[in-house]
Amino acid sequence: MRRSPAAWRGLVLHLVLRHLRVKYQRSVLGFLWTLLNPLLTIGVLFAVFRYVVRIQVPDYWAFLLSGYFVWSFAQQTLTAATTVLPEHAHLTRNLPLPGEALILATALSRLVEFLAEMLMVLVLLAVFHHHGVPASFLCLPVLVVLQLALVLGLTLAIATASTFFHDIQHAMPIGLMILFYASPVFYPAALVPEIARPLYALNPFAGLLTLYHSALFEGRAPDPGLAAATAAATALIAWIGYGTFRRYRALLPEIV
Amino acid sequence: MAPSAATVRSFPRLSDPAPVPEPLPAIVCTGVTKSFYWYAHRTTSLRELFRRHLLRRPIHVRHPRFSLCGLDLRIAVGEGVALLGSNGSGKSTVLRLLAGIYQPTAGTIQVRGRVGTVLELGAGFHLELTGEENLALYGAMLGLGGREMAARTPEILAFADLGDFISMPVKYWSSGMQARLAFATAVCVDPDILLIDEVLAVGDQAFRERCFERLRSFKAQGGTLVAVTHDPAGIEELCPRAVWLEAGEVRGEGPTPEVVADYLRHAGQEG
Repeated sequence: MRRSPAAWRGLVLHLVLRHLRVKYQRSVLGFLWTLLNPLLTIGVLFAVFRYVVRIQVPDYWAFLLSGYFVWSFAQQTLTAATTVLPEHAHLTRNLPLPGEALILATALSRLVEFLAEMLMVLVLLAVFHHHGVPASFLCLPVLVVLQLALVLGLTLAIATASTFFHDIQHAMPIGLMILFYASPVFYPAALVPEIARPLYALNPFAGLLTLYHSALFEGRAPDPGLAAATAAATALIAWIGYGTFRRYRALLPEIV
Repeated sequence: MAPSAATVRSFPRLSDPAPVPEPLPAIVCTGVTKSFYWYAHRTTSLRELFRRHLLRRPIHVRHPRFSLCGLDLRIAVGEGVALLGSNGSGKSTVLRLLAGIYQPTAGTIQVRGRVGTVLELGAGFHLELTGEENLALYGAMLGLGGREMAARTPEILAFADLGDFISMPVKYWSSGMQARLAFATAVCVDPDILLIDEVLAVGDQAFRERCFERLRSFKAQGGTLVAVTHDPAGIEELCPRAVWLEAGEVRGEGPTPEVVADYLRHAGQEG
């Protein structure tokens, strides 16, 4: 079934709204839960790494805030990647509902929450950390686009692969745990030893989070070289992810 | 211009009625074959994986290779066609191919117009959403705007006649209620083609009557109907033509009473 671009937009928008509605219905605190969970995690990370491990970063809470929500967006979207197609199997097997619309809607509905979280982060950082609004906050839209493309590329590939191999569902928590420690979420990338840097640079999340730290925490424009490298890696991953999905798209409704 | 027309009358006069072009058929399937990936490629064990990929030895395939084999089907606008056949003969696969859910392994499918589908029971609904929310989703899927769908909603609600259940999540509904909403939605979005699987069997007698009534008026307005059925009684009126599928191949095709008689004779022998 062919859709006009307007029909496509309408469908994705509808799915995003529906996803948010299902998530928050019959929940009294609603969106607060979305905020509470990462805030509690940030509290734990702060307590452990400020007072026990004693990472030497001034305003460590601000450092955590400027990166943790990016990580949490990636983590939640990638976790959903393995379940979004099976969850909607009864729909996709009986209606011409394209899998890419479901995947895009999953990422976008999470992005809506992320943007709300970011608003809070920006206010907190401006008031208590920078005592003003640094110009580098203006980089945020570019960073968000990079983040979305990177996560979408991975999500498309993972959603496709996990349809064929259920092992991926089991591997995801382990993979995400490794990725968490291999990304500068609770430590600055500068602490990574020189010898491990080339390997470390292969993780596109390392680049992305470092860009966020520059723009939000340090309040200065991100390094253009790092930005270009991260954008290139993101484009590659998005291309591979979408290519993988396209190749197997027609098979998905009959397998899930 | 077709050559045969030219030989019959070479000089049309102005007083002649304009030649009526043959209407484009609603559905054309040419050599449609569907082989399910899982049947053809499934590797069930590490040993098979090893034999297939490392030793490059073909494995013995115990599964049926094709769900559908070289189907040719042409359905004119306004026609009604019943699909008959035992379980697993490929009837629902045909409907899913026509609805654009499955892609054919080989062959081509052309479908002209908006397609309304009533496939599996309770399918096409998000069980956590209420009936109303599901209607909006269905509309979005068909490319209907929110306003257009909202305009049709009263008609759908009146037809499905679900009362207050419509604002409850679908998972609390009985199977009959789900079938009612599925049918009501599919017929009320002005489809050109309706694809209906054996779902009417669950509705109560009164609702079945209303469904038949609605299908009659759908046909009368030039709608095209393809219905899967195990219960051929009463289908003849809506579907004067029938196609009998067995193991993915057409076993018989023609006027419904004759095909039904053949099919029932065959089913009797099998049983």
